[in-house]
Amino acid sequence: MSRDEEARVEEPRLEEMGDEDERVTDRREVLRLAGRHAAKFAVAAAALLGFEGLRRSDEPPIGARGDLGIVRPPGSLDEEDFLASCMRCTRCADACEPQCIRLFGPEAGALHGTPYIVPAEQACTLCLACGVACPTGSILPLEKMTQAAMGVAEVDERLCVVHNGTGVCGACFTVCPLRNRAITQDYRDSPVVHADACVGCGLCEEACIVRDRRAIRVVSSRGVASVGGEEA
Amino acid sequence: MKLQLLRRGVQILVILGILAVPALTRYNNYLASRELDRQMERWEGTLPGATLEVIDAAMRGLPGGEMERAGSWQRDRDRVLARAAVLRGGAWSAEIAGVSMTDPLAVVESVAAARQLPWVLIVGAIIPVLATLMLGRVFCSWICPMGLLLEGVDKLRRLAHLLEIRPRNQRASRRIKYGLLGTGLVVAAVLSAPVLGYIYPPAILSRELHDAALTVFDRAEIGRFGVSLAGFSFMMIPIGLIALVELTVSRRWWCRYVCPGGALYSLLGWARPVRVRLASEQCTACAACVPACPMGLNPMKNAMGAECDNCGVCISTCNDDALSYGIESPLADLLARRGTGGTT
Repeated sequence: MSRDEEARVEEPRLEEMGDEDERVTDRREVLRLAGRHAAKFAVAAAALLGFEGLRRSDEPPIGARGDLGIVRPPGSLDEEDFLASCMRCTRCADACEPQCIRLFGPEAGALHGTPYIVPAEQACTLCLACGVACPTGSILPLEKMTQAAMGVAEVDERLCVVHNGTGVCGACFTVCPLRNRAITQDYRDSPVVHADACVGCGLCEEACIVRDRRAIRVVSSRGVASVGGEEA
Repeated sequence: MKLQLLRRGVQILVILGILAVPALTRYNNYLASRELDRQMERWEGTLPGATLEVIDAAMRGLPGGEMERAGSWQRDRDRVLARAAVLRGGAWSAEIAGVSMTDPLAVVESVAAARQLPWVLIVGAIIPVLATLMLGRVFCSWICPMGLLLEGVDKLRRLAHLLEIRPRNQRASRRIKYGLLGTGLVVAAVLSAPVLGYIYPPAILSRELHDAALTVFDRAEIGRFGVSLAGFSFMMIPIGLIALVELTVSRRWWCRYVCPGGALYSLLGWARPVRVRLASEQCTACAACVPACPMGLNPMKNAMGAECDNCGVCISTCNDDALSYGIESPLADLLARRGTGGTT
């Protein structure tokens, strides 16, 4: 109906009839063109690199927990490989039933769109659905929760109410999915983390009754700028 | 006309699907943590509440969604939870009923940056690549959320024409996008990080819509309702700029000349068997199809190259039924085009 109108209003001028350079189709041709237009190629590369430079910033993004490092979903590749292969598609976050996986916003620069977890707010339940959902293999599908290596929980003995003798607790021990392996109880039920068994799910950090600064926190070596995070 | 209605329907479904993904995940989350009924009650009459109710009605309404327990019909939790997982991802990479589909651009960029090709990537690429090999750039015309936005801007362009304002229609070289695709892959390989994914409009738009929908629920959880732009980030600015240039300077300039994804789809769809064909004996050379073509091609030449996205607008525009989809051997077509040598 309105097609006629359209035909009338966008009157076909001669130079608009079809296209002159629509036949760049074969691969060899494209390569030859790339060679001939090396300067343009350099400009485009510079523009893209500049764009990346602009997007990347030195400021720690929201969600990076300073020296504690970034906690990635269970099964994530090494940080370098992870950032290279992750296509920032949101599928891990969509598959996450406890909704612990969040995605960095554009202010995070190179991390934009990659998944992270803030255990203190919502910890990973080690359902391992994210690895199954990942379309790039950046998060590997794990079979057992013991294979997840997200970080290691550390107890701050000055803050822990059992360790410092100001109270009775046991929340972290109770909630730990690897109870008696990753966390055991010592004198007066004080929690002790075993770094070799702990996978860093952070359920203990979420459950910790010391609120402002948790007495047990997951430490990861990812995204820590300098020497601070050699611990894991 | 029917074809265009169908296409518009698919495009709108894609947008709704992108918006439905976060809603479904939140539904899943609330149901899994046994908060769903409380949230629906608390949020009654608000957008997130209504969304949850619609999803709930759909999940329970389908056969097998409910079971009888203690004299009343209740949700079959496990089944409903599994059902709510039918849709994940967005236009960049999606999983629909367990079938994984990934944009070929995401695949090649991930391969370039990570220098590895895991099986999951190949599996996800099968359907889009096969579809493109057969049908050409159909992602652009049927699925791309940016495509729908730009077609909306096209309507504004038409309105401007009616108001006797004539927006420019600047042309450029279609080779630019191939150059950008190649450059982007090199830069991605050098930086070991994806770059094209950040400038690819469907990926940006998909991510932004995802975050915006998620933010509606985030805000509701802290007791805030009503309209807010909080979920959108500054990445909407380039999207707006593309639309603005589209409106004033050049029709479908991004898709024709710049889009790296479009370039890859063009390369893949170069030898597609399904093409727009012209029955020359019926054509009256009225040229109605030429200005109608969003990609700026000339269907009357009967040589739709790699750029054609098989949207079928020319077929719907043709007054003489001279244009139609046809199937032909790509090799024969190639030889024919080589033989005639093309023009210029």
